Formats: sequence, structure tokens, C-alpha cells
Amino acid sequence: MTLANNTLDAAARRGGLNPALAPWLALAALAAAAFLLREQAAWLVRFPAELVVPLNEWISAVTWWFAEEAKSVFRAITWLLEWPMAWLQGFLHWLPWPAFMIGATAIALAAGGWRLAVFTLVALVYMLVSGYWKPSMNTLALVGVSVPLSLSLGFLLGIWAFKSRRAERAIMPTLDLMQTIPTFAYLIPILLLFGIGPVVGLIASAIYAAPPMVRNTLLGLQRVPSDIVESGRMSGSTRRQLLWWVQVPAALPTLMIGVNQTIMAALSMVIIAAVVGSFEDIGWELLTTLRKADFGRSLLAGVCIVLIAMVFDRASRGFALRTGLAPRRKGTFLERHRGLAVTLALMAAAIGLAHVFDSLHAYPNAWRVDLSQPLNAAVSFINTTFPATLEWIKNHILFYFLLPLRSGFELIVKPSTWGFEMSPTAAAVYVVAAGAAVAAAWRFLGWRMGVAATIVAVVYYVGLVNVPWPVFMAMVGIVAWQVAGRRVALFALGVMAAMLLTGVWTEVMLSIYLCGAAVVIAALIGCPIGIWAARNDRVSAVVNPIVDTLQTMPQFVYLIPVIMFFQVGDLPALLAIISYAVTPAIRYTEHGIRGVRPDTIEAARSMGCTERQILWQVQLPLALPEIMLGINQTIMFGLAMLTVSALVGTKELGQLVYRALTSADPGQGAIAGFSIAFIAIVTDRIVQAWSARKKAALGIG
Amino acid sequence: MLGVQSITRRLTMMTAAGALAAAVTVGSGTLPAAAEVPESSDPIVLALLEWTGQHVTTYMAGQALERMGYTVEYKTAGSYPSGTATADGDLTATLEVWDNNMGEFWPKLIEEGKVDTLGSVGLDGGEGFVYPKYVEEMCPGLPAWDAFVKCSEVFATAETMPNGRFVEYPADWGARATELIKGEGLAYDAVPAGSEGALVAELKSAAEKKQPLVMMFWAPHFILAHVPVGWVDIPNELRDKYSLQKPQMLKFAWPGMKDKWPAAYKFLQAFQIDTDTQQVLMDLVDNQGQDAREVTAKWLDEHPDVWKPWVEQAMM
Repeated sequence: MTLANNTLDAAARRGGLNPALAPWLALAALAAAAFLLREQAAWLVRFPAELVVPLNEWISAVTWWFAEEAKSVFRAITWLLEWPMAWLQGFLHWLPWPAFMIGATAIALAAGGWRLAVFTLVALVYMLVSGYWKPSMNTLALVGVSVPLSLSLGFLLGIWAFKSRRAERAIMPTLDLMQTIPTFAYLIPILLLFGIGPVVGLIASAIYAAPPMVRNTLLGLQRVPSDIVESGRMSGSTRRQLLWWVQVPAALPTLMIGVNQTIMAALSMVIIAAVVGSFEDIGWELLTTLRKADFGRSLLAGVCIVLIAMVFDRASRGFALRTGLAPRRKGTFLERHRGLAVTLALMAAAIGLAHVFDSLHAYPNAWRVDLSQPLNAAVSFINTTFPATLEWIKNHILFYFLLPLRSGFELIVKPSTWGFEMSPTAAAVYVVAAGAAVAAAWRFLGWRMGVAATIVAVVYYVGLVNVPWPVFMAMVGIVAWQVAGRRVALFALGVMAAMLLTGVWTEVMLSIYLCGAAVVIAALIGCPIGIWAARNDRVSAVVNPIVDTLQTMPQFVYLIPVIMFFQVGDLPALLAIISYAVTPAIRYTEHGIRGVRPDTIEAARSMGCTERQILWQVQLPLALPEIMLGINQTIMFGLAMLTVSALVGTKELGQLVYRALTSADPGQGAIAGFSIAFIAIVTDRIVQAWSARKKAALGIG
Repeated sequence: MLGVQSITRRLTMMTAAGALAAAVTVGSGTLPAAAEVPESSDPIVLALLEWTGQHVTTYMAGQALERMGYTVEYKTAGSYPSGTATADGDLTATLEVWDNNMGEFWPKLIEEGKVDTLGSVGLDGGEGFVYPKYVEEMCPGLPAWDAFVKCSEVFATAETMPNGRFVEYPADWGARATELIKGEGLAYDAVPAGSEGALVAELKSAAEKKQPLVMMFWAPHFILAHVPVGWVDIPNELRDKYSLQKPQMLKFAWPGMKDKWPAAYKFLQAFQIDTDTQQVLMDLVDNQGQDAREVTAKWLDEHPDVWKPWVEQAMM
């Protein structure tokens, strides 16, 4: 592919027509024909409803039949899991809070040193004082049962994939799907099979969180150096011994990364799963406060999750670093485990004291500190003090950015919005201006940017939802083919045809519109912040905790203030998606720029480059593949957030998924859910291929 | 929809009459010997749906059952999942299902006899187009229907210009207001809200800024204790045409309940809560941050005269 492209570039440099341009010229002809015919042939823009295949009804019928037949088996699983869950919950409620604090702090101390211990203690004090102790314990009970399940499931599947190539070939694409299907879509079949209640949320999170463990198990086992495996073989170990005594221990650090990611995923799903029935855990609190539009309380409850996630993250990473490093201490059992003994003794003392002082058992309500009022007051203050500013921001983003992208200048430019009518003169001015911009892009940035600019100019004129589907499909097909090869292109065309035939095309376009707009803004915000953080340690120290918080904050929390400020519509959804999806753009940009080799920068400096030149001409080009992977993650996060933003009244695939969930319609849920997953997978393949090629061309990675 | 409503209305009247008769015949007093209750020590599982009013209703009934000697558990569920779960027995009963929000699913279960209807909860609910009270100054003549029709420009935003902006129920609750607006050719654009929280946030935010707003809403709701509102007088023929009738709030039970816990079944049939009580308790929970279960427990302590007769009736 690379070779072919180099020849193409060479051909272009020689001045002949670039063969890679040919499909684009054909596309331009197709688009022009479709544009002229769109009045007569409306089916080019709106796929005729009578041709839609009622696949959703078939899927629903099959799922309902299966659920009915297999119900007893799945209900038995639910019933079985209720026991460990009830037991753990009972234990956590019985344990007086000082005892829990002592235990958790001691574990944190062992995992991450005194800093983590202090952080854990502060986090627990926050949960206690803010009045979220009981919900936090319930969430911990859910995670406490679901994570071990998820880890064992993931570990076993990972080993199976390692042992059998055929299993690997079946498992890997399934993992791709599992990680891109939106969380709400998961819940529909789970709801039908397992019923309702907290245990169902637990099962959902166990399944949702397994893929990272599978991936890391496989990766870890594959990366075990062959000499280690060889020496194991030479010592005469059987295949089973080789696996358990040699390969798994050697893969432990990678396995621990899997554990870390699985915990994070489980925690986020436990919150989302509150929609299908949980009780008095943090997810339930969040849904309740969302229902009341009580921002203060939802933020306070969300912070509990952020803190829990941070403690788990640091602790599991700490254990990951320590695995295999600690030398065995000598002495009697008590001497070796002095810390454990002290902890247990302190906990016993706390339990004893709690029998005397009731306040140690149940933290008195009167001692709670409620910070929600000032938080709500702050939202009200902004809302009432700057209504004109908020209105101004809203209208400008809507009129000049969002609405034209969705419906086109043709429809949006009106006296009430732009101050004038979209007359033929205005259209002519637009064509001239856009033509000039395209020519400039072509001349100074290369033909690829020229093509991109043309597409943007045309889309902005007619609107993304009005682009005829054959044109859109051809465009994606060409991009996929030129960047990622024929297989990805065929896959993209296949899934787009499926979206068309199942009647969700308009929603697909609306999803691409909303998510695309959010990604552009997220990149424009995130990349500069990432660059700044990479070049300044102090900025990095401030930015990183914020990024951590944004990423682990339950998505529900973002929804209330955006509606309060900007009212129901596309804008709050856009802002909610941005606030969640901006984090990878920041992280990967910082990581990419910091990853540029210091000797390269030194060389540039010794050649007399200014700091600005080093940034623009050395660091950024070298970090570009990594930054693109960050944008890729931003797209994935944005697509994941689509379903949650359905709660502020969007009209895209996420709304279809949410409606399918509330009306228990597995067919609709599957179609919309898979559509989101396929958009994600196609985008991912294209961006990954581009990034890999760029890395190869730059001679890095 | 209509068929279901008329059936349930008749049931409501019957149960209400029964409750009244019980209250009259049973004198003051002592509970009958509870030897036979509970008939089973298995927990009775009650559904917690998505709004505070329903939580108040459910906790009140649930705690009364506990005082009768039953074990009660609560599970949260969406209103559709609660239907299947009640039919399966995963939920023993679901109290306060709004018949305007039942979708296609509940009526099917009722028709097929997969759930038992226990009559009305006793709430006097309302549903319609709501606006913050100060809007009457911007559009004189409100709450009259004609004023609402003429004032569409008052509610216009840059996005919906020249039409008015009308905030509609979330898409999964059905779009009856949208149908009315389109069917009658009103100069409004209906914008679906996405969730109850979005509706509440719209109302809160508009009231803070004193901006015009009109939206589909229902009563009783806690936010109405917070933001003074008016209701547009929708003509009766339009209410009929677009099924905007007064909603009924119903109680449903798993059919197996009447054999497994007969007395509890009878109690839930008799159980009622009135709008004022629910609204006061909701306000304590939502605006004053009290715990719903503590609030209802206190209410039960203070009003034995209201609920003890239902227990006595159930024990007969």
C-alpha cells in the first residue's frame, strides 16, 4: 500500500494526473448528478421506507422466543449471584465505618505507599461526611462481585484465544464489537434474560468489563520472551505446567494492566446499569438526582465514583508494579505479616468501640455536610447573571457551526438567523469564497487537503443529512480504500448498506453530525492543552487530575448544567459529548509530544531552531501519529456518549438505543447499537491504518 | 388505550366503594389476630419506578405491609421492564402506573390476563400544557386556548423562529402533544426533552431567568410546589382527539400474589393515597432532602385512622 502510494505521489510530482485523484473525480461527477437530480429522485436523499427490511422485528421475535425458552437457566444464574452479592453487602453494612477506613487505608498503604493511603483516607472521609457512605458501600459490593467474575471470564477467554488460533479469530472481532456497542444497548438482552434488580446490573458490568482482561491476557502471554518459554520446556515441564508456572507468571505485569482496565470499565457500567434496576447505590443516586435536575447532589455523588475509581486505579497499578519484585521476608508468620496483624487488631478495636458508641456504627445524619446548595446556587448564579451571554454563545454555535453542518446553509441562512436570505447572489458569493478556500488548500497543503476542503464546503452547503446516500457511501468507501485498503473499504460499504436497509440512515447521519462536530471541537480544545501540558510540568500537574476527573465522572452528571444553561436541543448534547470526549485528545497529545526523543530535539536545537520551530517542525509532526490515535479515542468516547446524551433529547442512534431500552425492544436496540459499533470500528480501522503508515514513514514506533 | 381506561375506571369505582364499605363497617381499632399473616415468609417485591411520587406511594404501601408482618423488598425498574417483571413474578406488585404512559406493553399484559389490576391508586392527576405563571404577563389571555394559539411568537427562539418552541415529553413517552400541534396546524415546533430531568431543568432554568416557556407536563409533581405554573385550557374535543384525558394511576400485581399472599393482595386492592398527601410528602423528599422511607413511616405513624381499616379489611 505504502509503496503504491509513493509511486502515486511520484507520479503527481512529475505533473501528470494523480491516479489517486481519479476516484475523487468520479465521486465529484456522481455528487453533481445526484445534486441535479435530487428534486426528481427524492429516494437519493431519503431511502424509501417501503424498501426497509423489518430486521428489527425479526430480531425481536427471535430474542423474545429465546428469552422465553432459556429464561429458567438465566434466572438461576441471577439467583445464584444474589448470594455473594447479599453477603458482601451485608458485610460492608455491618462493618463500622472506622474499621472499613482502617482496612482500606492499610491496603492502599501496601499498594501505593503513604501518599495513596492519605488519599484513600481523605476519599473515605468525603463519602462519610457527604452522606454517601451507604450508597458507596452498595456500589463497592456490586463491583466487588462483578470484577472477580469479569476477571476470571476474561482470563479464561484470553488463555483460550492464546491456545487456539481459531478461538482467537472468533474472539477478537467479538471484543471489538463488545467494546464499541453502547452500554445501554447491552442492557436490553440482559434485561430480558436475567430480569431486573441490582444483580442484573452486576451481570451487565461483568460482561462489559471482561474485554480488556481478555486482550491483556492474550497480549501478555504472546509477549512472554521465547527464551523463557524455551527454558521452561527444557526443564521438562508439561504444557499445563508451562502455562501456569512459566507463561502466566511472566505475563503478570500485562495481566495487571488488564485488571486495572477491567476495574475501571466495571465501575462505569455499574453506574449506567442503574437504569435497569439498582437500589441505593451511587448509580441510583445519580439517576434520582438527574430526574430532579439537582446538579449539586449529582456532582457530589459523582465525586464518590471519581474517588473510588482513582483509589482503585492507583492501587491496582501499584500492585502491578510490585508483582514479582518484593523479596520474601524471613521470620515467623507474625513477623512477616506485622502490618496485617496491626491492621486487623485496629479493625477489631474499631468494631468493639462501635458497639459502645453508636455514631461509630452509623454516621449520624446531623453530622453530614451538604454542599449541594452552594453548588446549585452557583449554577443559578451563572444562569441568572449571564442569560444574554449564554444566549449569544448558543445562537452563534448553532447558526454558524452546528445547524449548517446538519441541514446546510441552504436551509439555515434566513433573515432570523444570518440576517439575510439565501438568495442566488448569496449562493454565488459562497461558491466563490469556498472555491478560493479549496484552491488555497490544494495549492499549499496538497491535494488531499484540497479534496477535504471541497467535501466540507459542499456538506456545509447542503447539510449532512441531505447528502445523498450513494454519494456518502462512495466517499467513505474511497477514503477507506485509499487509507486502509480494500478489506476495510468493503466492510465499510457492507455495514453502510445494512444501515440503509434497516431504515436507520437518517439517525446514522445525525449521529455522525453530532459526534463529528463534538470531535472537531474536542480536538481543537484538547490538542493545545495537551501541547501546553507537554511543555510545562506545572501545567501537566494541574491538567492531569482534571482529565482523570472528567474521564471517571459518571456521564449523567454532565447533563443537568448543560440543559440549565442552553435548553434542550443539539447544543447541550454537543457540550456533554465534548466534556467527556476531550480527555483522550489531551492525554495522547501530551504523551505523543513528550515521547519525541530528546536527542532529536537536541539535534534541532543545535541546528539553531527556535522553540517555535522545534514545536511546529519537529515535535508536532513526529507526535502526529500518536495524536491521531488520541483523536481516534476521542471519536470512540464521543460515540459512547451518544446514548447517554439521548437523555437531553437528541434524535440520533443513541436516542433509538435509549428508546429500545425503555420499551424493551431488542430488535431496535440491536440495530441502533450495532450501527454505532460499526461506525466506531470503521473509523478506528481507517485512523489506525493512517497512523501506522505515518509512523512507518517517519521511521518511529 | 380507551378500552383499558374504561375498564380500569370501573375497577377503580368498585374498589373505592369496597374501601368505603370496609371503613364504615369496621369500627375503631384493634387489629384482628394476625396468626395467618404472613402466609409466606418470602419477600413481597415492590417496584420503584422513575419518579418520587411513585416512591412515596410504594414505600407507604410497603411499610404498611411490613407492619402487617410481611417481608418487603424494593427493586427499581423502568416502566416497561416493570410490566414483564410483574407478569413473571419478579415483581410482586407495581403501584402507580400512569395509563397515559403505559405504551403498548402494559395494555397487552392486562388484556392477556398476565397481570392483575388492583384498581386506582386514588390520585387525582392532571396532564397538559404548562407554563410558568409570569408568562401570563407576556401573553395576556392565558390560560385560554386561543391565547396559547395566538402567542406562538412569544415562545419563539432563534432556532424555531417564526414558530414557538414547545418542549415535548421524552420520545419514549409518546408524542401526543406533537400530534396535536401538527394535527391542528399550530405555529409551534415540538422539541422532545429526553428525560424527566430535562423537563425539570427547562422549567427551573426558565423560571430563574423569567423566560417564556411552554411544555407538556403532569401533576402531581414536586417541581410544581417550587415554580408557580398555569395550565393551558385545552378544549375537551382536542383532549379527546389526541388522548390527553385525565390520566389514571393504577395498581398491578403478579397474578400469583392472590394465592401466595391473599391478605397482602387484598390490602393492596384497598390501598389509596390522595394527591395532597403525596404532594406534601414529595416536597419533603425532593425539596427538603428527607429520606422517602422516613417520611412515609412518619406518615403511617400519624395516620393509623387512614390505613388501619384497609388492613382490617384485608384480614377478613
